[in-house]
Amino acid sequence: MSAQDGVEARNARKVYGTGQEKVVALDNVSIVIKRGEFFTLLGPSGCGKTTLLRLIAGFETPTSGTILLDGTDITYDPPNKRPVNTVFQSYALFPHLTVAQNIGFGLEMRGHAKAEVDSTVEEMLALVRMESMADRKPTQLSGGQQQRVALARALAPQPKVLLLDEPLSALDLKLRKEMQSELKRLQLETGITFIFVTHDQEEALTMSDRIGVMKSGSLLQVGSPREIYTRPADRFVASFIGETNFLTGVLGKDAITLDAGGTLPLGASTQAKSGSKVTASIRPEQIRVIETDAPGSLPATVTESVYFGTDSHCHFALADGTEVVVRLQSPASGDVGLSRGQNVFLRFEPGALMVLEDQA
Amino acid sequence: MFNRSFSISRLPGFTTIAILVFVMLYLPIAMLVVFSFNSGTSVAIWEGFTLEWYPRAWANEQVKDATIRSLIIASTASVIATIVATMAALATTRRKQTRGQTFVYILINQPLMVPEIVTAVALLIFFASIKVATGYQGLGYLITAHAAFCIPFAYLPIRARLEGMDLTLETAAADLYATPWQTFRYVTLPLVMPGAIAGLMLAFVTSLDDVVITLFVKSAGQDTLPTYMLAQIRRAVTTEVNAISTLLLGLTVIMLTAFFLLTRKRN
Repeated sequence: MSAQDGVEARNARKVYGTGQEKVVALDNVSIVIKRGEFFTLLGPSGCGKTTLLRLIAGFETPTSGTILLDGTDITYDPPNKRPVNTVFQSYALFPHLTVAQNIGFGLEMRGHAKAEVDSTVEEMLALVRMESMADRKPTQLSGGQQQRVALARALAPQPKVLLLDEPLSALDLKLRKEMQSELKRLQLETGITFIFVTHDQEEALTMSDRIGVMKSGSLLQVGSPREIYTRPADRFVASFIGETNFLTGVLGKDAITLDAGGTLPLGASTQAKSGSKVTASIRPEQIRVIETDAPGSLPATVTESVYFGTDSHCHFALADGTEVVVRLQSPASGDVGLSRGQNVFLRFEPGALMVLEDQA
Repeated sequence: MFNRSFSISRLPGFTTIAILVFVMLYLPIAMLVVFSFNSGTSVAIWEGFTLEWYPRAWANEQVKDATIRSLIIASTASVIATIVATMAALATTRRKQTRGQTFVYILINQPLMVPEIVTAVALLIFFASIKVATGYQGLGYLITAHAAFCIPFAYLPIRARLEGMDLTLETAAADLYATPWQTFRYVTLPLVMPGAIAGLMLAFVTSLDDVVITLFVKSAGQDTLPTYMLAQIRRAVTTEVNAISTLLLGLTVIMLTAFFLLTRKRN
């Protein structure tokens, strides 16, 4: 495998409209997605993730920049000339064709022999476990079944890249979980590069090999789910992926002196200058509540406790009023035993406090 | 108990007015049908049941001639109108909405808004000069004229169908290696078909019963069924005409029923 294998966007820029109505949907995004990877583009709506997907699919051409597939420039190739298939958010199944005809559509358009089309369709029906539905029309299927047919239809022509545009957003929670593992299984079985677009951070974390976090047309951070979660590049990534607490302070040597009092060690080195004012983040599950003072802990007052079933989210106020949320596993009684106004100490797990790199 | 919304059917006199309207609309037609089976020659006095007027009408060479001419014109004109209307509907629904869009709609639907007599006179003058220049006297003028005023009738159901169509389907087809032509052939066209057939039938019926434009445009000896009947009635209302009308009515009812069944929301 050469270094150029996979999908690459180079300075891809997409501008809609002109003059006052000008909208920059994609702002010089460069990214390399490796072959065989499950890559997720994650971001809030309007961040440009779908635009990037449409540029790769060929539904739109960039205002400037290039799209490459295995090192070949495909920027201006029409969609029917690209070995790239899409699973649409609305599924876009052809209502006048049966399930089998839908799945065979791509191969038929490419002029494959009927026998070959039929055998591939059968294979695909088995792959998505829809053998018994071959002769139904899409409207006779449930949402989850339509989803499977859309997947089978996009996989049948054996594309180099499969694009998935929020395909799970229309399903209910239980079905969504099922389809998540189903998608992961299909990706491993076929070895096809999956580029998955979602605004659901949990979906991104559980399914992806790597995640690209986007905001306002720019790519903020690319990395494995672990990297993104434990070492968020900036405040936006930290708060968009999971919940987090922000604490301000002055940077010392491998430690931070918080505005709320106390000096705590940092989890990793930072590029920020010693002595500068910084913001650090810590995840709610990486804080312990203790009764008595201990080294590396901060005094806090309970302000609120919210029960979530498997765990409870307790809100605390630090000495300077900064709010900190701590996630506690619910005990058998369901009551974490903290009442409003109670004074406790918060101990941060060593190495959990991260300085965010995006501050001046 | 106070949540009853306003309903027109609860207004006093609603039933009476409704019945009156239906009687006014359908009683004459019912009488026409009934008297086409009248054994006497009078159109006002019932003298007994007979089927004789139907074969008699058909035996009339002029009726046969006019019927065939009507069918030729209606079928040719409606097919032309449907093809043009489909293209127009594709053009108006597939492009970005612009300020000129309303103007385009008005242009396409012009025959619905301009009084028929105006179009008729305009066509008469226009075709007259072509006749002089080319010497051609055939049915082409009537077919052209009919196709033109049938376009909006074909256009409306087709446009409705296209507007309700998910454009992502065409994107999906392109994504699955279909060329633009294949996309049209295997996705767009099959999905537009019910609208196109409905449009075709509306156009056919509209062409079949046109009088005003036909009267102005036709050359001598080019009577269609409606213009022939009009000429007959000028002399005397005959039971033969009743029979022809009843048959036309039957044909129209069949076509409109088919139109209704096809345009009914199907999944």
